[in-house]
Parts: sequence; C-alpha cells; structure tokens
Amino acid sequence: MAGKISNTPATYTPSPTSQDKKRPSIFTGSDWVRPDGRGLHQCRPAFLRTSAVNSASGSAYAEFGNAKVIVSVFGPRESKKAMMYSDIGRLNCNVSYTSFATPIRGQASDSKDLSSMLHKALEGAIILESFPKTTVDVFALVLESGGSDLPVVISCASLALADAGIMLYDMVASVSMSCLGKNLVIDPVSEEESYQDGGLMITCMPSRNEVTQMTVTGEWSTPKIHEAMQLCLDACSKLGKIMRSCLKETVSATQE
Amino acid sequence: MATTNGSNDLSSEMEVDAFRRLFPLRFHERHLLESIRPDGRPLGRARDTTISLGAVASANGSALAKIGCTTMLAAVKLEVMTPKAESPDEGCIAIDFHMPPICSPLVRPGRPAEAAPVITKQLTDTILSSGMIDLKELSLVSGKAAWMAYLDIYCLDADGALFDAALLSAVAAFSHLQIPVVSLNDDGRIVLISEENSGAMWEKEPVNKEKRKLKLESVPFSLTCLLHKNYILADPSDEEESIMETFLTVVLDSSFQLVSLNKPGGPGLAHTSAIQDCVGINKTESERTSEDIG
Amino acid sequence: MVGLSLGEKNFIKGGIAQDIRTDGRKRLTYRPIFVETGVIPQASGSARVKMGATDVIASVKAELGKPNASHPDKGKVSIYVDCSPTAEPTFEGRGGEELSMELSTALQRCLLGGKSGAGAGIDLSSLSIVEGKVCWDIYIDGLVVSSDGNLLDALGAAIKAALSNTAVPKVQVAANASLDEQPEVDVSDEEFQQFDTTGVPVIITLTKVGRHYIVDATAEEESQMSSAVSISVNRQGRICGLTKRGGAGLDPSIILDMISVAKHVSEQLINKLDSEIAAAEACEEE
Repeated sequence: MAGKISNTPATYTPSPTSQDKKRPSIFTGSDWVRPDGRGLHQCRPAFLRTSAVNSASGSAYAEFGNAKVIVSVFGPRESKKAMMYSDIGRLNCNVSYTSFATPIRGQASDSKDLSSMLHKALEGAIILESFPKTTVDVFALVLESGGSDLPVVISCASLALADAGIMLYDMVASVSMSCLGKNLVIDPVSEEESYQDGGLMITCMPSRNEVTQMTVTGEWSTPKIHEAMQLCLDACSKLGKIMRSCLKETVSATQE
Repeated sequence: MATTNGSNDLSSEMEVDAFRRLFPLRFHERHLLESIRPDGRPLGRARDTTISLGAVASANGSALAKIGCTTMLAAVKLEVMTPKAESPDEGCIAIDFHMPPICSPLVRPGRPAEAAPVITKQLTDTILSSGMIDLKELSLVSGKAAWMAYLDIYCLDADGALFDAALLSAVAAFSHLQIPVVSLNDDGRIVLISEENSGAMWEKEPVNKEKRKLKLESVPFSLTCLLHKNYILADPSDEEESIMETFLTVVLDSSFQLVSLNKPGGPGLAHTSAIQDCVGINKTESERTSEDIG
Repeated sequence: MVGLSLGEKNFIKGGIAQDIRTDGRKRLTYRPIFVETGVIPQASGSARVKMGATDVIASVKAELGKPNASHPDKGKVSIYVDCSPTAEPTFEGRGGEELSMELSTALQRCLLGGKSGAGAGIDLSSLSIVEGKVCWDIYIDGLVVSSDGNLLDALGAAIKAALSNTAVPKVQVAANASLDEQPEVDVSDEEFQQFDTTGVPVIITLTKVGRHYIVDATAEEESQMSSAVSISVNRQGRICGLTKRGGAGLDPSIILDMISVAKHVSEQLINKLDSEIAAAEACEEE
C-alpha cells in the first residue's frame, strides 16, 4: 500500500466556478475597498510571541492577518569549516515556505531571493563585532502566506534575534505598501499584491531613524515616494513599539 | 575514568548542570534509580499533549499538535486526480514529513535531516495500513476524478518522540478535514462551488452534496518508549533520545489492536516482557491523552 | 576582495571627501562609457558596455511562446545574469552565484515594473501577438566579463543598448484560426520591427563612502562603502525601481536626497548613453 506514493498522477486544484479574477475596476476615481475591510492606511493587527521554538537559541512567532511565520535563531555557533577566518561574526539567513502556505500547493515565491533580502535587511542592525569567528543562523518558515510575507519575516526575525540575546543596534521593523492606481495601501494582503502597480518596502530601525533596507518596484513620482515612505516609517515606529512591548512581556513573565 | 562506582562519581562535588553535561548517562541513571526523570515525570508517563485544529486557513484541514515541547503542524490539501485504472473509485493519500531548519540546531538548510524520510515512510505505512481512512470516500466520479489528499507535516520544534507527535497531528488534521462542494463542469474538470454563487450553479448537479468530513474508522495512537537496561521510559525527550538509543514504537488503534510495532535496531535488545509492558503503557497513555484532548 | 592597506583606504576616503577621487574624477562623474552593439550575431540583439575595467555583455533573444494565463495580453521577459569566473577569482565554482542572483533580481525589479505590469521599462503588451495564444518571450542574458565595480549600472546600460539593437521579426497570423486552436503564425525573415526602448530606464548606483556618495564606484571604492542604493530612473524622471544594497542603515532624508541626485545624474547618463548607442549602431552599419 505504501506504493501509492510513488508515481503520483498529475493533480490540480479545483478552481472556483466564477472566474472573476479580473482587477476590480476601482481605477475610475473612487477609492479602493480593501478585501478585509481595513482603511487604506491601516495595518493588520499584529500578534507576536517570542520563544516559540524550545530547541533554538531564540525564536519568535508572528501573525499578521493570515500571514503566519516562525523564525528560529541558532548561535552564535561555530562557522562552517570551509569559511575563512573573520574578525567579525557572520549572519546566515534562510527563508522557506511550507507546501500548504499558498492557495495552490507548492506555488511559493522564490525563497532564495527572500533569504538574501532578509540578510540585507538584518545585517545593518546586528553588531557583528560582538561575536567574532562565529555564525548566527536565522531560519524562517512561512506557515501560511497572507501578503507582505517578507516584511513579516523581517520583523519576526528581529524579534527572534533579540530573544536569542544577539546584540542589536535596534529592533528592525518592516512594512510594505502597494500602489493601486492612485491609492496607496499599507500592509497589503496577497490579493492586493497581485494587482499592484507598484510596491515599496521599508525596513528600518525606529529609534535610530535609519533605513536598513528599501525596495521600490513600478513607476513612482518623487512626491508619491515621499508620501509612501512617510506612511511606512510611521507604521514601522508603531510596529517597533509593539515588538518592544512583546519583548518586555516575555521578560517580566520569566521574572515572576 | 578514575571512578566508576556509582556512589563515588563526583556527583556530590560538582554543580548539577555541569554534571548533566559532562556525564549525561550517569546523570540519567541516577534519576532512573529513583524512578523519576529529569523533568519530574515518572518513567511510564508521557508528556502533556495539546491539539489545536484549523491552524492554517489555506489548507482544507489542519492541526497543530504538541507533546511537551515537540510541535507538529499538519495540513491536508485536496487536489483532483484521475484515479488509477486498477482502483477507479479510490482516492489517494500522499504523506510527506518535513524537518525545516527552524526545528532543531542539527538541521541546516540544503541538507535535509536524515530522520525525515524515515518518518515519512513510517507514517505512510501506519496511516494506510491502519484502515483509518477508507480511500473510497475520496472518490468523486468513478474512473474520472478522485481526491488526492496531500498531507504535509512540518516539525516546528523537535524535542523527542517525533513520530508520535507527527502521527497525532496527522490524525487530527484528517479529523478537521472538510471536503468542499464541487461539481463536474462541461470540460470534465472539477470546479468548486462557492456559497455565494451556489444558487446560479444549482442546475449542475454537485458531486458532493455538502461540505462533509471524512469518516475516521479507527484512530491509531503511537507511543515511543526508550529501553535502557531494565527501565522503560515512555515518550522520551530529545536529550533522553540522544543518550539512550534503543527505541520501541508501538501503535495501537482505538480498540487496542496492534497496528505496528517498530524497534529500529539500537544497542539494546528488547525482551518479550518489555514489549508487552510497552503495549500496556500505550493503552493507559492513549486513554489519558484522549481525556486530555477531550 | 581588494586587499588595501590602511593608507590606501584613507587615501580613497579622503579623496572622496575632497571631491577628487583616486582616478581624478569628481564624486558624480562617470568613467568613460564605451558601447559596442551587435557583438553576438546569433542573438536578436546584443551589446557590450565597458566602464573602465568593468566589462559586461548583454544579449537579447526573442522566441515565440504562450502567454501566462494570468496575463493573456502580455508577453514575457526574463532576465538572467551570469558572472564569468574570469571576471574575478571569487566567482569561481559557485562563488558568483549569489551575486548573479542579486544582480538578476535587481534588474528585474528595475526593468519589469509592478506586478500588474504598470511602469515597466519594457512594454509587455507590445509583445503580445494573439491575445492568450501567442506572444514573444524575451530572454535577456547578461554576462560579466570583467569586474571593476558598478556592475549593476553597466548591466542596465548594456541591456538598454542590446534592446535598442534588437529587431523582432514581423509576424503574420493566419486569419482562419478558430477559437480553440493554436493559431498558425508566419514569422517573416525579411521584415523586422525595431524595439521601442524609449521607456527603458537607466540604473544609477550611489555608493556611500564616509559622509558622501559617489556614482560609478570602482571595486576599490566599493570595498570602502558603508551602503549603496541603486535607483532606476526613466526619461520622464520617474523612479522605476529602487534597491538598497545592504550595509549600514541610512537616514530616510538621505535616501530622499539620493533619489533627487540620481534624477539629476540620470538626465546626463541617458543622453550620454543615447549618443553612444547611436554611434555604435552607426559604426556597426558601416
């Protein structure tokens, strides 16, 4: 009976009968109505928890709407044998998706790209000098994709790093924004991301007011970038406060 | 080692944590003499178990199972396939067990854990041979279409007894599985009927009348025991597993019939009486766990 | 990696602070750009761009394909960059892979616009032949032959030159095709259509060294960077993409300042590139 697994036949996910996958025609002036009923500049409620994985040095779980992510941090531990001597520490990042994370099985985005983006977003915030010759591994698993996956992974990873006691200049908070016609919507869900004309993602250290990573796609005018950056930075500092209070909660809970 | 005598083994001279790290085997054996384990459990007691259903919205059925710190997330996704010629009215189940790098310091990206394919095979054998799921229930149109259930289990935190937790989460995910309402369209493809447009689509006879759940005939329950000298330790933690290496996994179904028995080598040999003891512990623990979960 | 002594490092940093770089350039001056088109005869279009010791080749290949179900009225463009092991010792084996991927993603982000296809440098709807049935698939391959910093800008320029060198054959569609069948197409081997590259942006990487930022950094200067931002700007002065290339954090106001500097530099670069491309095309025709 075990043979059932081998030579699995080609399968498909049944699609809904109504094929109204077309972009809603909101571009004729009226405002975009968000699928989850949020305001344009309103973020999804964030649920954060540290120490989700016992066997890791530090870990965090984040849930933003449907986007659910776990990040584990291991180390600082011995670098791979092949690595050359380095007087500053190394950061190694990896992002992967579960096979059921997306509506259609195994249709996750390129995790290699996400891994390098995560690396770049974090490296500016970690005091690498504090663990010479060793490596800190940051591994993320997206349990369920719900839009703005990368910003959620980044924020969650920074919380996990703090939980692991890795020295940071500041927490890293990340927020993305979609441009849909003339509207700017913050913290987009998957559906909005698939229609978007342009996207902007900012990763920043709120208390130092420094941007560690920023990407823009699509065509933007300068005033629009100004506006979007400001909205994202405001949201980042709010998210940073939530992350801080989450860490404080954990500490006060362990002290009791 | 200068001293081998139990009462004279430095344990009184150094701190507990140091002793635990330097002489792990003796540390555990000292506990076993007192019939207690480092986490305070009696030898035959499994850790507390929790299950939460519906953890992942993008799957048709999902469950999160925790045994102590060991955490498993299982999700079932249904896809449509053409059944095989020899079994035209049966669906199919494909099971995959993953150990992503987040679950343990020993797993690195790009190098999959050795244990994962072993557990995948064990799970597949157990679930398919236990008769828990009647594959005919997954049929849609005989010879044309049937459900292919992809069961993916992710280990989120590895702290021993991985197979037990994986099987528990798999069973829970199947119990949460909802088979959607679908119909056959003109092109011979299966399409979903969503609730809002069901009125318009009613002229087409749906293949599934309503959302339904799978009937689970009998539910397998697994318990792994560690055999060390004359001791039997139920539901070992990761630390215990790494120190003492003889395992015996017993899987019983709801009417306590033996589904599978697995002793994958190891330095110790198992007495028949030890096997019987393990079966006995499985019975008591499965009752306790089902009370736990309710 | 460039092995620099402390004195050399200070010399580079000090020079940048005083607006005279080691090769005599100012902070916002490019190295001379050499463009050569039609370097690969088998490709539909190709170009080689040299900026100092940085040397890259881009080739464009057009093939008939089937559009994606999600965008039936659009063609497909894929961009892939390869770093030749001859360019730098560290690229040997799998060493160049990470950089290749980073460059490919950055180019895709800068040239292909948003998910809906709006703001793309290459107009994807112009690649459609029969809606939902046939379209052009454009494969853009970049090759780094020699590396001396500023690879992304050079690749962006090479792709722009290669695209303007690209001629796509005219296609006749048989009119009698029914709805379900794949229509028959006839690819002309005489009539060609020039590719419209007016919308293709240029990429400007601003490398921050000390308190100042410079364009077109050499490998030596790049080794001293604290962070870098790549901005792609089109002819209308609109931003088509932006990536920050790791390193330390930047104040948001500095990023905005960098954007305005990039816009200013882009005008000169676009004009410079246009004239170089025109000269190269003329040279090739002779």
